[in-house]
Amino acid sequence: MRGQFWFGLIAAAVCAGAEERRPDYGRDVRPILAENCFHCHGQDGKKRMAGLRLDVPGAALAKVSERISTKNAAMRMPPASSNRSLTDGQIATLKRWIEQGGQYAKHWAFVPPVRPAGDGIDFFVRQRLAAEGLKSNPPAAPGVWLRRVSLDLTGLPPAPAEIDTFVVDAKARGEAAYRDAVRRLLASPRYGERMAMDWLDVARYADTHGFNNDSARSMWRWRDWVIQAFNDNMPYNRFITEQLAGDLLPNPTLDQRIATGFGRNHVINSEGGIIEEEYRVEYVADRVRTLGMAWLGMTVECAKCHDHKYDPVTQRDHYRFYAFFNNLPELGEDGRVANAVPMIPAPTAEEQRKLAALDMAIAERAAKTEPKDLAAILVDAGTPISIDNPVPVAKHDPVSFSFRLQPEPENADVALYSSIDYGRNMAATTYGRGIELRLTGGEIEFRFADRLPAYSIRVVTDGAAIRPERMRHVAVVYEGAAGHPDAMRAQAAWVRMYVDGRELPTRVLNDDLAMPDAKSDKPSKMKLKPGEYKGRVAEPVFWTKALTAAEVRSVAGLRMVDIELEELRAQRLALARNVATVMVMQEREGKPRETHVLLRGQYNMPGEAVEPGVPEELLGAWPAGAPKNRLGLAKWLTKPDHPLTARVVVNRFWQQLFGQGLVKTSDNFGLQGEFPSHPELLDWLAREFIDSGWSVKGLLEKMVLSATYRQDAGGTKEAFARDPENRLLARGPRFRLPAEVIRDQSLQFAGLLKNQAGGPSVFPYQTKDLYKGIVVAADYPGTKWVESKGEGLYRRSLYTFWKRTVPHPTMTVFDAPDREFCIVRRSTTNTPLQALTLLNDPTFVEAARKLAERAVREGGASPEARLAFAFRVATGRPPDAAESRTLLDTFAQMRTRYLADEGAAQTLLAVGASPVVASIAPAELAAYAAVVNVILNMDEVITK
Amino acid sequence: MSFLSRRALLAKTGYGLGAAALHSLLGAAPKAFPNFAPRAKRVIFLFQAGGPSHLDLLDYKPQMKSRFDEDIPPSIFGTQRITGMVAHQDRFPVVPTMYGFKQHGQCGQWLSDRLPETGKIADEICVLRAMHTEAINHDPAITFIQTGSQLPGRPSMGSWIDYGLGSENENLPAFVVLNSLPGNGMPDQGLLARLWGAGFLPSRYQGVQFRGGGDAVLHLSNPPGITREQRRSQLDGLAALNKRLHGQMGDPEIETRIAQYEMAFRMQASVPELVDTSGEPAHIHELYGEDSKKPGTFAANCLLARRLAERNVRFIQLYHRGWDHHGGLTEKLPSLARDVDRASAALVQDLKQRGMLDDTLVIWGGEFGRTPYAQGPSKADSYGRDHHGRVFSLWMAGGGVKRGFSYGASDDYGFNVAEGGVHVHDLQATILFLLGIDHQKLTYLFQGRQFRLTDVAGRVVKEILS
Repeated sequence: MRGQFWFGLIAAAVCAGAEERRPDYGRDVRPILAENCFHCHGQDGKKRMAGLRLDVPGAALAKVSERISTKNAAMRMPPASSNRSLTDGQIATLKRWIEQGGQYAKHWAFVPPVRPAGDGIDFFVRQRLAAEGLKSNPPAAPGVWLRRVSLDLTGLPPAPAEIDTFVVDAKARGEAAYRDAVRRLLASPRYGERMAMDWLDVARYADTHGFNNDSARSMWRWRDWVIQAFNDNMPYNRFITEQLAGDLLPNPTLDQRIATGFGRNHVINSEGGIIEEEYRVEYVADRVRTLGMAWLGMTVECAKCHDHKYDPVTQRDHYRFYAFFNNLPELGEDGRVANAVPMIPAPTAEEQRKLAALDMAIAERAAKTEPKDLAAILVDAGTPISIDNPVPVAKHDPVSFSFRLQPEPENADVALYSSIDYGRNMAATTYGRGIELRLTGGEIEFRFADRLPAYSIRVVTDGAAIRPERMRHVAVVYEGAAGHPDAMRAQAAWVRMYVDGRELPTRVLNDDLAMPDAKSDKPSKMKLKPGEYKGRVAEPVFWTKALTAAEVRSVAGLRMVDIELEELRAQRLALARNVATVMVMQEREGKPRETHVLLRGQYNMPGEAVEPGVPEELLGAWPAGAPKNRLGLAKWLTKPDHPLTARVVVNRFWQQLFGQGLVKTSDNFGLQGEFPSHPELLDWLAREFIDSGWSVKGLLEKMVLSATYRQDAGGTKEAFARDPENRLLARGPRFRLPAEVIRDQSLQFAGLLKNQAGGPSVFPYQTKDLYKGIVVAADYPGTKWVESKGEGLYRRSLYTFWKRTVPHPTMTVFDAPDREFCIVRRSTTNTPLQALTLLNDPTFVEAARKLAERAVREGGASPEARLAFAFRVATGRPPDAAESRTLLDTFAQMRTRYLADEGAAQTLLAVGASPVVASIAPAELAAYAAVVNVILNMDEVITK
Repeated sequence: MSFLSRRALLAKTGYGLGAAALHSLLGAAPKAFPNFAPRAKRVIFLFQAGGPSHLDLLDYKPQMKSRFDEDIPPSIFGTQRITGMVAHQDRFPVVPTMYGFKQHGQCGQWLSDRLPETGKIADEICVLRAMHTEAINHDPAITFIQTGSQLPGRPSMGSWIDYGLGSENENLPAFVVLNSLPGNGMPDQGLLARLWGAGFLPSRYQGVQFRGGGDAVLHLSNPPGITREQRRSQLDGLAALNKRLHGQMGDPEIETRIAQYEMAFRMQASVPELVDTSGEPAHIHELYGEDSKKPGTFAANCLLARRLAERNVRFIQLYHRGWDHHGGLTEKLPSLARDVDRASAALVQDLKQRGMLDDTLVIWGGEFGRTPYAQGPSKADSYGRDHHGRVFSLWMAGGGVKRGFSYGASDDYGFNVAEGGVHVHDLQATILFLLGIDHQKLTYLFQGRQFRLTDVAGRVVKEILS
């Protein structure tokens, strides 16, 4: 009975009862069959019993009718051994359906949405309410609505002054005032941050890689792309396209390439000794899972090991989706201390401006260059490199080396100097360990590896063009850790490569090399690698220090130099070296990787080969002429007649505002999902969304201006008993705020919130030894929480460093997920640990003190006025007489206590990094802080 | 309506989370569970993270003694998936244990001389010598044994049990986690909060970590400068404000919140009382060892586990790290064994003397065993071993399990299951069975599928039931 029960609850309680009505296949019958019968009588041929299928027409239904209602326990279906059973009501429904002809219908969600008769959210909601004999609540007071809509659209509450202004405006201008308020909120930069919050769950964004080592990654450029996309009201079909296939668009911009980081947010395993392919397969499968959940609202991943048990998705379908994402140049084991390949440098807008300005300056200077003959700098001669005298290279220590070379033509990709033994087993965790300089396609590549390819620095020059025609001078400088005492990894940015005395730009192929402690940092001995390279080499020399650019010029014999030009170039190189990278999707060069169905989902059991493709019969035809790649997939998903995409997306935005979707199972629109509470409304919204050009702001504006959304959220005991979840929408939405919003608004009340958009993640208060006993022993980046100083303590919570294996407790206690997988719906629980956090976590204790301070300074002279001020800041309304009395009583008790013990007052006030205001008597301030502590814990404050 | 359907309903609808949370926290057992009379009321899982070597602790292989440095025969090696850590080795030479084994107790249980105290409870424990798992690396293996899936995302065993059975203590959570670091300061592999996470179950079922230092539960203490009396009057004020709101809005969630604040207040008293072991008599501290006085050690956690068990906490999960002995096993294993041997045995003895062993299930083991072949250079008295999932050992005691018993055997090399294999899902099915739960019935509807701890497998190991 369980699958069907919710419907029974609402239908039975609210309408005359499902039993009386003519059963509708999709709404009434299929859920019963799906829950109880399809497991053995569905589409999975391997599990099918007695050759009987009930998911498609054709079965002898009279016989079914008999078997589900027989008194003979041995004959009765479903059998007791299945742990499934039908209720009397369900049996009656099935029998009536069979009596009335047993008509099947295509599952509603697989039929494209059609614009229904009727218009507007309220029309459809009221139609349903009328059918149930219910009425809408009256509208909430304007100030209550403003608080609700501000929290929903910006994640921050309105200040009392904003409420005052709006109340006056609403009185004067009515609807226009409401509309303008919404537009103002949608135009706020805070809007994009609020919208990103939910998308980060779906996209499983985090600042660490997950798994055992769980070291840091850098994906914040992608996170900032999301915020910007929402703020720009990027049409949602483009939002999908750029994240799935930005790199495949014609002449992709940097932003479009960054967007594809969506497909790289999955967990990545760097545990030593894993089998690469086992995990690479998981990453590809994760992209399919996420695609399914995020935009199809289907559990496509259920078909990874076998045909889907409930939905008409075969295992072959799964691997055809999989094939779209199976051609990345990625590794199974990667990401031990930094980003995993493929990744690109992703300069911020500011950095891009600076780079462009430098490019211009360089071009200008180059046009009128004035080289001068420089006096040679005296550089010590260094040590000649020979078989007996290899270059010792340790990760901590600086080293430079130089030589001249003139290659023969046949050096396509050869080692020059090396300490790496490639003769070992490639699966070994020490494969490729050492240091090396290669000549590859006329460029110089520097490798420094614990294990190739994943755990290494690999840097290659861009524009060296070393050809057989002439002798060239090459110098490589590795800076070492000297200037970076806290570095937890050796970095590609410490490598400089010079040809003929001039530093060249480089491309970083890999940047993931852990730093040992100084004791165990044994130098690797690099010497001329015999056999591979063919050509001349002269003057090989090394120094155990990092040569400066000027020293390299001298060594190379470069005398005629335009110093100004060289400095501009050096500035540009330095800037480019230090920009953040972001992991992206891109296609491998050469022949695409073949995709096979993997038997039982096992990486090492390939079956039939498949091509990229989609279940066209089920979900609509492939767009004519679209390429069979991720870009084509995006085009297919965003076709205006796609049955799922728009419905799934509008449903999720509805869920964000109303607490649950019109389809309650927002993660499942398949046969096991729930039937929509308002099917026509869902379709109307989907059509409006598509026809508006996929405008998210337009959609949200319609929703929050509806009378349905504007209703008062209260209800009688009977009303809550009759429709506890508010599925019928006879009340306004009321539910506890998300974790991030609870913290952010507390900071805002306190005047502590720093509204700075974007940038690397920050480290606000977290219990000091939280990681002790949990995180990996190795000292990887991301294994220590180094508390931010100053503003980093008070940024919005979506900027808090998100460590997957130990997420911030203030977030998880309020139901934030760990972000290991795509999640489209958080649970909303109510626990004692939440109480302890809100009462005692320094974040909230400090916020209480700072709001108390504001109350004393801004709230007036009397305790009553000051407490009313704080109450109003937190709830958006003044306290009534009874509430005022409660606040004052509590205040009096606190004050008595602190007057008797000023030391206690001072210790309370000392919580948090913000300075204590000296001008307010500690006992007074502490007493107010203790009452504000109560206010910040009120149900009304943490509930919208 | 069975409780399960009500549960499923609550979970699906989100309605009455308040009521459900109260239900869970205040304890009345749901009607559908237990499915039959439970043999154990609670579980203490002494998890040895990193993969302790069965060959040096619990699985005596005299046949290996004369075969030092011989290659493992291909017939034994079979299709072993080898990790990248030994993939470069040309050969896989046998390295027998350097430790002495002898028989203990009336049952004649063979145990390593590194576990002398465990020898004293030989007649209480049941050793499973043919455990096996599919995973060969830490993260998937430990996730598998704790959640039934190698990949993240599923609820942990304790969460499942909390979800099914609820709590029997109105002042404490039903699922408590205690972590400890090895005395040798080499914890190696990390743990993951998901090991006590609720996965797709509502997050209130996640395990609550009791920490060794500072607040036992995060943010348990009042801020400095706020006394318990003050907190009481703050909460009285808060309750008055919330009640008034409830009168206006009618939302039952507000009532739940009021109750949760009261529970929080009670926890502020009950938890410190629980973790304060200073009142334990000297002979008890002696039993568990000197470390039992140092908060955060395995011994102290074992003593806390007994105190939690006395308060009817349902699932008590200990983790002790540091068993990942790829190299230098012979230096590290003795100190790890010293960390845990005495306290593990003491816990069993202590439960027994209090008459609690009969209804408390104690489990001791890790995510996999270690290879009979050496990793890296080896001598007879100095070697390392790689991960090994094809067979390993684990012991259980109390809670309806046979005493002084062993079940299953590995082959002569301790490499494969020879007989009586127990898969990780079988272990999970058996633990649930001992708690009175049919593992096929403890399900949760998520994304249209009924999930369960044992996935689509699991056999109750009836052979070990007393």
